[in-house]
Amino acid sequence: MIFERIRFILGVGLLAIGVVTFALEVLGVFRFKYVLNRMHAAAMGDTLGIGSSLAGLMILFGFQFVTLKLVLVVIFLWCASPVSSHLISRLECTVNEDLKKYCEVKSK
Amino acid sequence: MSRLIPEEEYGKRPIGALRQWMSGVRDPYLNNVEAKEKTGQGEESEEQLEEYQREVLSVIRKAQDTANNSQYTLFRKFYRSAALICCLTLTLMLLITVAYLPPVGNAGNPAHNEVAAKYIKDGMQDTGAVNIVTGMILDYRAFDTFGESNVLFIATCTVLILMRNDKKKGRGSAEEEERRDSFYEPKSDKILQTSAMILVPFIILFGIYVILNGHLSPGGGFSGGAIIGAGLILYLNAFGIEKTEKFFTAKTYKWISFCSLSFYCIAKSYSFYTGAHHLESGIPLGIPGNILSSGLILPLNICVGLVVACTMYAFFVLFRKGGF
Repeated sequence: MIFERIRFILGVGLLAIGVVTFALEVLGVFRFKYVLNRMHAAAMGDTLGIGSSLAGLMILFGFQFVTLKLVLVVIFLWCASPVSSHLISRLECTVNEDLKKYCEVKSK
Repeated sequence: MSRLIPEEEYGKRPIGALRQWMSGVRDPYLNNVEAKEKTGQGEESEEQLEEYQREVLSVIRKAQDTANNSQYTLFRKFYRSAALICCLTLTLMLLITVAYLPPVGNAGNPAHNEVAAKYIKDGMQDTGAVNIVTGMILDYRAFDTFGESNVLFIATCTVLILMRNDKKKGRGSAEEEERRDSFYEPKSDKILQTSAMILVPFIILFGIYVILNGHLSPGGGFSGGAIIGAGLILYLNAFGIEKTEKFFTAKTYKWISFCSLSFYCIAKSYSFYTGAHHLESGIPLGIPGNILSSGLILPLNICVGLVVACTMYAFFVLFRKGGF
């Protein structure tokens, strides 16, 4: 009984963290002015938000075959999302001429 | 052919012009419709150029000066009110239509007819597929799916006509265009290559699994083919076109599409022919639930998946480079 309650609280807490992260992500994507800042907000939602909300779902569901699928979804998203963000940021750094206005550029 | 009037006068008459156009002697659009390349550039003096530039700037300033443009203000007012009226009318019409719809879940609804009941009742027995949806689209209504696959093929042909770049060398060749288009793209990115190396085999395996399990679980040719196509596109983006050209060229695309579509056509024609004449088709249905079951559905799923995967990849390559 007490174990069930702890599990419920843990799952709901992780889910709440995920939802809050998503809310922050949406806010950041619409409020930030510069691409790299916006992308930081978006990538945060795709990694931390997805990870914590799916972890909450896994804890709530218990150990089943669905859990394995959720783990695979998390692994796939954690592989795909940072790589795509990296590519976009690299393109931005290559193309933008006044990059120094927005962030500090280390010369090689 | 003997004519009473000479050739030149004959060409001026409408019937003569039509005949000449049909036989390819004269092209009425030539030098009339198409824009011609300007000859004699660089002959204008600097004053002319300056005046031309000033003219362009004044036109741009006039066009961008929206505050004092009464025509533009009027148009904007009209546009906004028209958009509002259109939206409100459409919403009202849809709401009225919704009010007349039969209630959801009512047993007397037109959707609950004998066709749906038959599909659900006899679907597994007739087609041998556990997944009724696949049984429907690849057995009862396979002709429709054949049309969809052909639509994909025709779409690729159309894009090929529009985008194809046959020039091999020099200015405007396919290689040069691709280099110019992807000038700023990160090339041979280590992070992308490593992640693609890990992900692409799993993506393609998953696509094959979805295609082969089309008659047992949700999925099938269209979704599995889209997954395989996405894996191929990821591979192309990570490693460049030189690597994918080794196993996928225009010839591969042509032959895969041709073979899949003609096999689909022949197999389904055979099964429709025998079915319509109440003949024994000789295709074993197998035990529902086994991977090798449900007769023609598995090969047809593979055909559709191949066509979809090739179409997705071909679209990407054509838009990127203008050729394989």
